[in-house]
Amino acid sequence: MKFRMRHADRIVGVFTLLAFVLLVGVIILMGANQRWFAKNYTYFAQFPTAGSVQPGTAIFHKGFQVGTIRRVSLNEAGSVDAEFSIQDSYYHLMRTHSLLELVTSPIGLGSQLLLHAGRSLEPLPEESYVPTADSAEGQDLIELELVDIPPKDDTITRLLSNVNPLLESTSKTVTTLNRTLTELNRALAGQSEGPLGDIITDASAAVARLPTTLDEINSLVVAARDSAVTLLDSANVIAGNLETMSASFADPTGLVTTLLDPKGSIATFLDDKDALYNRVMTMLLEAERSVRSLREISASLSAEMPKLAVVLEEGKTALVSAQDVLEGLKNNPLLKGGITEREEQDSLYSSMREGAFE
Amino acid sequence: MIESIGASVRDKASRFLYALAFFGRVVDRSLRFFRRRQVGYKVLVFQILFTGVEALLVNAVMAMAIGAAIIVIGSSLLPQFGQSRLMYDIMVIVITKELGPLLTAFIVIARSGTAIATELAGMVVGHEIEAYISVGVDPVSFLVVPRVIGMVASLALLSIYFNLFGLLGSFLVVQLIKPIAFAEYFQSLLAALAPGDILSGMAKSLVFGVIISTVASYQGFAIGRASTEIPVAGIKAVGQSFVLCIFADVLITLAQYA
Repeated sequence: MKFRMRHADRIVGVFTLLAFVLLVGVIILMGANQRWFAKNYTYFAQFPTAGSVQPGTAIFHKGFQVGTIRRVSLNEAGSVDAEFSIQDSYYHLMRTHSLLELVTSPIGLGSQLLLHAGRSLEPLPEESYVPTADSAEGQDLIELELVDIPPKDDTITRLLSNVNPLLESTSKTVTTLNRTLTELNRALAGQSEGPLGDIITDASAAVARLPTTLDEINSLVVAARDSAVTLLDSANVIAGNLETMSASFADPTGLVTTLLDPKGSIATFLDDKDALYNRVMTMLLEAERSVRSLREISASLSAEMPKLAVVLEEGKTALVSAQDVLEGLKNNPLLKGGITEREEQDSLYSSMREGAFE
Repeated sequence: MIESIGASVRDKASRFLYALAFFGRVVDRSLRFFRRRQVGYKVLVFQILFTGVEALLVNAVMAMAIGAAIIVIGSSLLPQFGQSRLMYDIMVIVITKELGPLLTAFIVIARSGTAIATELAGMVVGHEIEAYISVGVDPVSFLVVPRVIGMVASLALLSIYFNLFGLLGSFLVVQLIKPIAFAEYFQSLLAALAPGDILSGMAKSLVFGVIISTVASYQGFAIGRASTEIPVAGIKAVGQSFVLCIFADVLITLAQYA
């Protein structure tokens, strides 16, 4: 009898028992892995439709499943109420400003429900309402950067998620630009009553007044320049005086020291019975006389200037002659041809000395 | 011609009703089997031995091959779409819910369905059934019920082993081709596996077991007196079992997803 026939009962028993043990083991491991007996925290959310949100839909955070949709129902307002649970090991993600985001693949590879933790440190109590990224409240949270949204795993989704804000931003910018251009056009047309219109009107008036203003500025500049020259001359004179005065002050035997001495010239000057005054007057008269003589000499010199010119002309002629001599010497040291006779020509002017000795 | 069509319809209807009556009798006797502790218990043990234990090797090889193929294809193809996690869902669906029970049923049909049909047909040709009846032994209770219960139990157990070898044994095969981390694989697989998947596979195995054993027994008893009908009974048992198993699989799957 074959071994298996003799021990058929044992073999079948082992075969059956082993299968049951393995099955129970797998079920236990499955229960432990799927947290059948672990505590979950319940929260609520609202979605526009239940198309991608069904009971059992997993909720992910950075690629890890952190919860599950438990129940969905259509409320009287027409939106879908969803009850979802978060595992206790991920309860710390449920903070104030946390939100849910339903991400749908653009190429039809299904959708994923993501949980984004709020940046607040305050924990979100159980059975609280969690907004979705599509809702107005969720948009506010995203714009205010109160929620931590990691970059998407899928490249296309990530690109598309970036495109939407860009398009919205571009649209806003274009709208603002249009509004600004319209306002600018109205302001340029003089139809605006706002601050820009006032500015444009003021600027136009200022431009109209600009030539007059420039003329005035030119006049002012010229006047200022003249005044500055005069002032500079005066300042130079004053500076010279100050310099002289400073030198006088610095000299211990100078005029000021002598004048300030009680036993000096001032006392003598005051008690000399006009002697000094007379002396000074005499000196002044003599000086006047000298100046007059000097003036006469100057006038005489002016009269003699033509004669001086003649002398200079003759000097020049002599120099030309000397140049010729030197040239002749240079060309022929033996003086073969000699020096050409030059006809003398009397000066048209008579010199002062010649006149004096006539 | 009309007479021949009518006769054929009557014959088919008669056979169908007979088959239903036979099935009802098998169910009735099966419910009494464990209470009466008949000698057919030994037949049950041998049936599990032949159908379950001896088919384990083929079952395991097929399970590991299919599991390894899914892992290799899934780990190469699905990351390109950013859907790596779907690999575990696909494995659970294919191995536990769909292909596992069906392929196990095909193995059992090929091995044990033909064996039961030809064995019972041989007993009919050899007048052994008449002998059992003549001594007061119900052939259904003694010959069919242990085979039906043994077949159902074997398919259920083989389905469990198919899942284990398909989901875990295939991992060992893949390590030789394309190594992946065991902890990640095991945790992801357990996360994807749901009790409903296991129950679905088990339910299909039970239904397939009932179908295969009943059809094989019926075809074995349905032959005439000629020994040349024995292989025909085996062929009919295999063909009908295949068709009915696939039909039942479709119905159960539709019931799950409808």
